[in-house]
Amino acid sequence: MTVKLDRRRALALIGAAGTAATLPAWGFPRVAKAASGRVVVVGGGFGGATAAKYVKRWNPDIDVTLIEPAERFYTCPFSNLYLGGLREFESIGHDYDELRETYGVTVLHTWADDVDPEAKVVRTRDGAAIAYDKLVLSPGVDMHWGALDGYDETAAEMAPHAWKAGPQTRLLKSQLEAMADGGLFILAAPANPYRCPPGPYERVAMIAHYFKTHKPRSKILLLDAKDSFSKQPLFMDGWQSEYGDMIEWVSLSNDGKVVRVDADALEVETEFGNRHKADVLNVVPPQKAGFIAERAGITDASGWVPVKPATFESAMVDDIYAVGDATIAAPMPKSGFCANTQAKVVAAVIVAELAGREPPSPSWANTCYSLIAPGYGISVAGVYHVADGRIAEVEGAGGVSPREAPAAFREREARFGAAWYAAISNDTWGTTGA
Amino acid sequence: MPFARWARPIRRRDILIAGAGVAAFATLGPARALAAAWDRLPAARALLGDAEPETAGINLDLPLISEDGSSVTVGVAVDSPMTSVDYVRSIHLFAERNPSPEVLAADFTPLVGRAELTTRVRLNESQTVIAIARTSTGRVLAAARNIRVTISGCLVRADTYDSEADLNTRVRVSSPARRGAPAEVLTLINHPMETGLRVDDAGDPVPERIIRRFDAHLNGEAVMSARLYRSLAANPYLRFFVAPDAPGKLRLTWTEDTGRTAEAEAPVRLA
Repeated sequence: MTVKLDRRRALALIGAAGTAATLPAWGFPRVAKAASGRVVVVGGGFGGATAAKYVKRWNPDIDVTLIEPAERFYTCPFSNLYLGGLREFESIGHDYDELRETYGVTVLHTWADDVDPEAKVVRTRDGAAIAYDKLVLSPGVDMHWGALDGYDETAAEMAPHAWKAGPQTRLLKSQLEAMADGGLFILAAPANPYRCPPGPYERVAMIAHYFKTHKPRSKILLLDAKDSFSKQPLFMDGWQSEYGDMIEWVSLSNDGKVVRVDADALEVETEFGNRHKADVLNVVPPQKAGFIAERAGITDASGWVPVKPATFESAMVDDIYAVGDATIAAPMPKSGFCANTQAKVVAAVIVAELAGREPPSPSWANTCYSLIAPGYGISVAGVYHVADGRIAEVEGAGGVSPREAPAAFREREARFGAAWYAAISNDTWGTTGA
Repeated sequence: MPFARWARPIRRRDILIAGAGVAAFATLGPARALAAAWDRLPAARALLGDAEPETAGINLDLPLISEDGSSVTVGVAVDSPMTSVDYVRSIHLFAERNPSPEVLAADFTPLVGRAELTTRVRLNESQTVIAIARTSTGRVLAAARNIRVTISGCLVRADTYDSEADLNTRVRVSSPARRGAPAEVLTLINHPMETGLRVDDAGDPVPERIIRRFDAHLNGEAVMSARLYRSLAANPYLRFFVAPDAPGKLRLTWTEDTGRTAEAEAPVRLA
């Protein structure tokens, strides 16, 4: 018993500062092993940066290496606000100083090109072979080039996806700025599953805001491969009240599914043969797990990563964990918030397993805030746990913003959204994006 | 009965197990567990009669997971020469754990040229989807696949229906790759496919309203027809083929349970 108490005290000290609020409680073992080990994390977004940080936070003796090509990471969340002219691009950029300096994570700015699960080694583009005891892959999504006829990397230079924040986002913004008033912006939205379910609907709202303030005669056509979407009634109410008839949504059943893209002509063709010509064309194509997941052999026929629900260890390869958009975690959506909370669970699992302890039993949370206009925010929230061996939503724990709500309510949610972004950025990278 | 008594399921099963031995049993395991799906479902079993269906030569395509069970794309393809003497006569789809498992029953003529059908299905919960095909020569084929239905937290399940578009029809016929090759036909009709199981916002039951039947004729000759059930997703969508030997007109007809019909026409070209 004294051993148990001592360990608990020691861990409490390690955890310090706010950990108690975010760390699920778990039982402590009677026997402790040497708790160190080598953890490699691939991908420095919400999932990877959080995993690296929290492994170190909960056990500084573990050697943690983060492999991320970008020296500064730009987030998809809030990139729509940049498109709407409400934020500077640099305000959604984050660096790795805190991970390096405060937590002692080794950060390598290179590509992870291959994984050898037998030798337990990650090979990087600059020729290094990095050994791991536990590997965390948080590669996000890759565009599934070729899945949509006519849409490849070259086409994306003319008709950007802007579904990874960075040069693509800036390209779309510059095209919107160059467009004449009275032009037509077309967004082609994919079928499920894809990164950030409410993203396309927030994006058209933010671009409508930009048009309303700069190019009020312009129109927006949202061609959708779905018949329903996240927070649909709230979005449609908001589009109408803020932008009148500027945004037209065409559902799957009204021939909204784009089946061919002619990027040179900025033209798309739908399932039943209708053609639409845009002045600015934004194609959000079908997606799949980032390529390193494929290289590691942890993707299935769907192109995504099946995981063991309680630990997010790959269902196919031992000692490789995956978090974030690359995983099949439904009913958890592919969101930055989910990646962050999945990463904390994985960090807790790895710290426990390297110490020879039973991993904790997890729960996860998610909130997706969307901004329809300045001072007009909406949200959907969920809490998740493992039930009958599967991830399931905790009944009655989540919710969506009310349909009829006073302006002050929407205004509060807009502020909550901004506060959420600062908080989760701080939790992930130690930067608030201010 | 086209099926001989010797093809009774128990005997065939016994032979399979005896012949396959222990090692093969391990690989057959999942297939056999799923195979029980059509034995569990009386409507499917009734179609099979005494026959033990073939499981090779039929492909059932659906996602492993659907994040919105209100409209799941399901495809069936059967290996068949599709000649006038040997063709797939019908394809049947079932969703085992829906309130009414029948989804669709399509009757083909050799004019389809290719035994393939895609549609969109409502799935109430995680379950097994079953496809059964019967050929003009008396063969019976069956396939079953499990699907997990999980409503993503960031998605709101909504059988949203655009009533302004009610009974709008769409059709697209591709040009065949070469003369005599089957051309792809896509069709959709805007229709709520009200199941009669739903209540409206005021809590009152919404009466059943279903497209019951779909017919496709090429120059007046039957190509295919289908009975549709309430497990078919709103806005019934069908993808099938037609193999014309002369150019002509494809005429599509949808018939509602009220007797109301909708029609669409599309030219069919040769390559």
